[in-house]
Amino acid sequence: MNNSIGLKDWLILIIKKDLLFSFKRSTTYITPVLFFLIVITFFPLVLGPDKGLLSSVSAGVIWVAALLSSLLAVESIFNEDFNDGSLDQLLISGEPTFLLVFAKVFSHWLVTGLPILIVSLVGAGVLFLSVTVLFPLLVSLFLGSIMFSLLGALGGALSLGRGAILSAILVLPFSIPILLLGSATINAAANFQDYSGYLFFLGAILAVGLPGICLAITEALFLNYE
Amino acid sequence: MSNFTPLKNWFVSMGSSPFFYKWSSSILPWFLPLSLLSLILSLSWGIGFAPTDYKQGDAYRIIFIHVPSAIIGQSGFVLLSLFGFICIVWRAKIAGMFLRAAAPVGLSFTFLALISGSVWGKPTWGTWWVWDARLTSTLILFFLYGSIIALYSALDNKPKGDRAASLLSLVGVVIIPIIKKSVDWWQTLHQASTFSLTSTPTMTSDMYFPLLACVLSFYMIFLAIVFSRLRVEIISRELNKNWVKETL
Repeated sequence: MNNSIGLKDWLILIIKKDLLFSFKRSTTYITPVLFFLIVITFFPLVLGPDKGLLSSVSAGVIWVAALLSSLLAVESIFNEDFNDGSLDQLLISGEPTFLLVFAKVFSHWLVTGLPILIVSLVGAGVLFLSVTVLFPLLVSLFLGSIMFSLLGALGGALSLGRGAILSAILVLPFSIPILLLGSATINAAANFQDYSGYLFFLGAILAVGLPGICLAITEALFLNYE
Repeated sequence: MSNFTPLKNWFVSMGSSPFFYKWSSSILPWFLPLSLLSLILSLSWGIGFAPTDYKQGDAYRIIFIHVPSAIIGQSGFVLLSLFGFICIVWRAKIAGMFLRAAAPVGLSFTFLALISGSVWGKPTWGTWWVWDARLTSTLILFFLYGSIIALYSALDNKPKGDRAASLLSLVGVVIIPIIKKSVDWWQTLHQASTFSLTSTPTMTSDMYFPLLACVLSFYMIFLAIVFSRLRVEIISRELNKNWVKETL
């Protein structure tokens, strides 16, 4: 009877559509995972198969590989929607735009961040990261990869239609604190120190960044309609 | 309240590019030579007449270039984001132009701080570069300037580029304290804090006052360069306007 669409329907529609699109085009979720594994493989090849050396650099390697591979699909978050006009529909829907933007970012994270999170276990295995570190690795990567998706979406929105290199250059300096805190978490855990402080700080950055960066993304998207 | 009205009116009319152009035409002819002169005087005061350091000898004298340029590099970014805020909120065109005029200058001063710090590090620390917290965060500041410049130079539509760069500078100024904090943690976790600029012996007034003069004259020369660049930006952007044809 009532056929007006509410906020919840919009959010579900966006996530459903994005997931369906990336499921039909398997390159969107396979490419980041493959890229992550290839980067991980390079390090034993370059540094030599020494177990001690590899396990001491593995935390940093996993984080850098996760950051770089999460940047691969940044272009696709808004570019296609902008070109086929469905982004216009989101912006004129009358719903709070930054929530819709968050739905876009969340579905991007589901497609790129979550697979990398799972594959990072393989990376930790082949780089001889000790088993006690797996839990802090997963928690910190979980928090950090959401931030990477947010920052990547901001870069993609600012450089809409300009290619991935520009958005990578925009995003990389801003992701340094997350990278530092993430690898600090794993290093602290590997040295049997208390790592909860770093996780709290990562969570605090996420709590501020989630609404803040979504607002900035909205503002950046509107720049393309003037 | 009414006492501030002339000041407020003046500030608001600064948002109009013809007004700023005329104002800066009356200011720059004496402000630019004055800032050059004070730069030469304060640098020669610091490098020529300030006492020699008992520990570092004459090598410390690069402080008169290093510290002011680092201060300009940092406060330049705050200024950038302030004007970015004005550009986003009040849509003042001239704020965006200021951003474009100031960002490369801030980048240059940050670069000067890095290079002069490197030159200073060689005789005192024995190395050109260490991964110290302060050095690292200055390097990251340099990259942030770079990404803002990369953004606005990639967008062909000038007002859009202004607004996009303003947005990025706002995100940047929020993230700078976080970067500082996390870099401090990272550094204290991995290596003992062996070098710190703050632990050098407290200065005598013979060294402090030339340094203060250098900082002030660096600020003046920064503003003079930015104003000159802003004038060029205004002219190149509003070439078709009548007031430009009348003025030139």
